[in-house]
Amino acid sequence: MPVKLAISGLGKRFDALEALRGIDLAVERGEFISVVGPSGCGKTTFLRIVAGLEAATAGQVLIDGKPVTKPGGDRGFVFQSDNLLPWRTVFDNAMIGPEVAGRAGAVEKQRTLDLLKLVGLGGFERYHPRQLSGGMRQRVNLARALAIDPDILLMDEPFSALDAQTREIMQTELLRIWEQGRKTVLFVTHQIDEAVFLSDRVLVFARRPGRLQETVNVTLPRPRALPVKRTPEFVRYVDHIWRLIEDDVRASVIEEHA
Amino acid sequence: MSATAEHDKSSTGAPQPGANLLAMMGRIPLAGFVSVVTGLLLWEVLSRFVVANPLFLAAPSQIFTAIVSLSESGQLGHHIAVSGLEFLLGYVIASFIGIGLGLAMASSQTAKQVCQPWISGLYATPTIALAPLFILWFGIGTWSKVLVVILLVLFPVTINTEAGLRTTSVRLIEMLRSFGATPRQIFLKVSLPSATPFILAGLKLGIGRGLIAVVVAELFGSRAGLGRLISQSADAFNMPELFAGVVVLAAAGIAMTAGFGWLERKLVPWTKD
Repeated sequence: MPVKLAISGLGKRFDALEALRGIDLAVERGEFISVVGPSGCGKTTFLRIVAGLEAATAGQVLIDGKPVTKPGGDRGFVFQSDNLLPWRTVFDNAMIGPEVAGRAGAVEKQRTLDLLKLVGLGGFERYHPRQLSGGMRQRVNLARALAIDPDILLMDEPFSALDAQTREIMQTELLRIWEQGRKTVLFVTHQIDEAVFLSDRVLVFARRPGRLQETVNVTLPRPRALPVKRTPEFVRYVDHIWRLIEDDVRASVIEEHA
Repeated sequence: MSATAEHDKSSTGAPQPGANLLAMMGRIPLAGFVSVVTGLLLWEVLSRFVVANPLFLAAPSQIFTAIVSLSESGQLGHHIAVSGLEFLLGYVIASFIGIGLGLAMASSQTAKQVCQPWISGLYATPTIALAPLFILWFGIGTWSKVLVVILLVLFPVTINTEAGLRTTSVRLIEMLRSFGATPRQIFLKVSLPSATPFILAGLKLGIGRGLIAVVVAELFGSRAGLGRLISQSADAFNMPELFAGVVVLAAAGIAMTAGFGWLERKLVPWTKD
């Protein structure tokens, strides 16, 4: 398997605060990687640097051997809040990527229509965001990122604003969609079970400074369905990761309340 | 299965535009209608039997008669045409300059620093008091009134345009940036549409201020116009004609504001839920 994404010695400093230090990572094409960690561990910053939305202060990010300096059509970003344009229809929202790239032709329009069907929004193309539920809006968010046919999908806690049941449904939907295209995925979350359920590898981050503490290989067979969450192997993974970050989480909770 | 469940949620949760409008039409007009009719009746009774002096107060029926006779003689039409032209010229010019200034202030820090003190200062000043000065400088014709209208309409439009552009959601801008959008694309696809409700609100504020500007400027000195009609009638203690002028102005204000409400529902429906 060829290396799609190579990250070496990545660091990020915001003045006095060191957000990330010495991240090394090699991701193969088609891998599903999750990043978990307590709040303040720099996991979102890490994702934003890979997206090109923020510049690293040390190290580099290579995609297919080329350094990342700015956002590009090879990466699709799925945001934590859906960030849909309220004046646009579902279809026009999903088309924003091709439109910005100046490639909103018949092929792209057809692909976007197919993607909307794939994410379960067939028939809702002409709706406006205010007419959709939170889960449906996140589906548009996902379709929008996929509409530029990116090599790498970057997802920043995309299901964190959803209720628990909708979130579980969205996890299985995401796996179903991923199985069809096998994009390389970097998925940031604070839900350990979500990370284990979705991923081939879970990167566990620690805080102060944000750094890679351990990489957990998840060997649960695919395709995975929700019942796998109740198996002993699954619970062992979750338990192991929780132990890794427990102290950090407690520390961050106390700080937030201080 | 999940998609169906979510669909159900949205179809019951999202308001149906048509049904909403019907419900509003069914509810408000009855109470509103009764309120207006009662008010007019009280006014009629008060002016005919309590005040009973046409030099102080005109009854609605007398105002209506005055409007009819003024229209038949062509005077009312002439006054409306003169004031209407002054308002329209001033309003359109002020809208263009105001939106332009707002754009400049939102896109350049220097432009903002240069303009901000003047705009804040003049917006807070009752600039209508400068109307006599403009008449002194530019004569009692159309252009002195146009300038007063510009002076009053300009500031709410500028301030709202600038505020609308400046408060564009950073998350929406970032979303566009993640697709590699240029500053120009960000402006056209996010900033401008999201500022549109603010700009429309500024233009709506400008209607009332523009009407005040026309009338007050005409009161200070003019040959024709609704302000002229009002001051003439006041000098002659002709209350029905004075009120006729006021009623026409009120109707114009209500009609234009309602027109704007319609425009807002067409252009920025996402702000209306």
